[in-house]
Amino acid sequence: MAELVGVYASSHAPLIVRGWKDVSPRNQQDLTRAMTELGRRIKGARPDVLIEISPDHWVNFFINNLPSICVGMGEEHEGPAEPWMKECPYKKIAGHPRLAHHIVQTALEHDFEPSMSHHLTLDHGFCIPLWRGGLDPLPPIVPIIFNDIEPPFPTVRRCLRWGTMLAEAIRSYPEDIRVAILATGGLSHSIGEPTMGEIDEPFDRECIRHFEKGDDSLIDFLNERLPTIGNGASEIRNWIAAHGAAGKRGFELIGYCNCPEVYVGCGFASWNLGAAA
Amino acid sequence: MPSGHARGKIRPMRDYWLSKLFFDLQSSPPLGEEYRADRRKILDRYQLRPEVRAAVERDDVAFLAARVNPYLLRFYFVVAGMPEAEFLRKVRTAGAAAAARSSHG
Repeated sequence: MAELVGVYASSHAPLIVRGWKDVSPRNQQDLTRAMTELGRRIKGARPDVLIEISPDHWVNFFINNLPSICVGMGEEHEGPAEPWMKECPYKKIAGHPRLAHHIVQTALEHDFEPSMSHHLTLDHGFCIPLWRGGLDPLPPIVPIIFNDIEPPFPTVRRCLRWGTMLAEAIRSYPEDIRVAILATGGLSHSIGEPTMGEIDEPFDRECIRHFEKGDDSLIDFLNERLPTIGNGASEIRNWIAAHGAAGKRGFELIGYCNCPEVYVGCGFASWNLGAAA
Repeated sequence: MPSGHARGKIRPMRDYWLSKLFFDLQSSPPLGEEYRADRRKILDRYQLRPEVRAAVERDDVAFLAARVNPYLLRFYFVVAGMPEAEFLRKVRTAGAAAAARSSHG
């Protein structure tokens, strides 16, 4: 049977690539340290497959057909299409259709109805954490896209349940493979809104404390606060799914950087899967 | 149910063809180049209402912000070549104007 060997989360601010030279040396150092450590932990877990949860930044989907959740079933995915990601080494990215199919089947049996795609382009949200974490070569990726971009969004509680279901899908997958999960996005930021450029560090710190507590107060906190801050924080839904997959236990902050040069309160984390309840 | 009200946010009304224009431009670098060279020629291909087209032609961030997803708005003005500082100034002004309207609403 498959084994869940690691659960991780990472911000994916585009300006980490597109505007890196404008980031202060101190913040460059903090971001590099956190992303390198994240990559080291993922590599150390030796996953045969990496399930990655990220939004789609208007690359695969448009408002004529916009799934709340989509699972990438393809043998192969396209690397990032953004012109400023042209230096990214991932041009074609292997998928894992058998695990992806099993995840969708398990989801349907648990009363989720995800969308499916046999050919996805993995944008910067998927690729920046992998690239900057030094994952080359990549394990096969099963991409899962959450709609964190265009309201209305999946509820926070639903995302938590999706994560719980995902862990069950991994446990019940019949091949002996090692599987890790990486959720990307967040923490606080605002894109294309009047608050663009604002980072709410008190929100981010409180959010991190709720992840560390590992109880359901996190859900209430996000339900109350997400509608009041920048739109980019909606991507914390992906972290919530990772949290659910980890059984809501063992959250460990790798690093946090309030980085105005990239417009994002950048967070990096992993979950200790051996943590007691 | 989630509670709370978005600070300075604009309600999510969507103009489909305006959104499609922005989506297509950020999806295709060659189309973006063509657009920067001859904006009107590209605009002719989209079923934009006259007031919407006029807002695009005058780079009216506040008007457009009320009609498209904020990420698409941001991507569009990058493709259209608006300097970042100018976009930030205009989108923040748009928020202040919206907040002023709602406080009088």
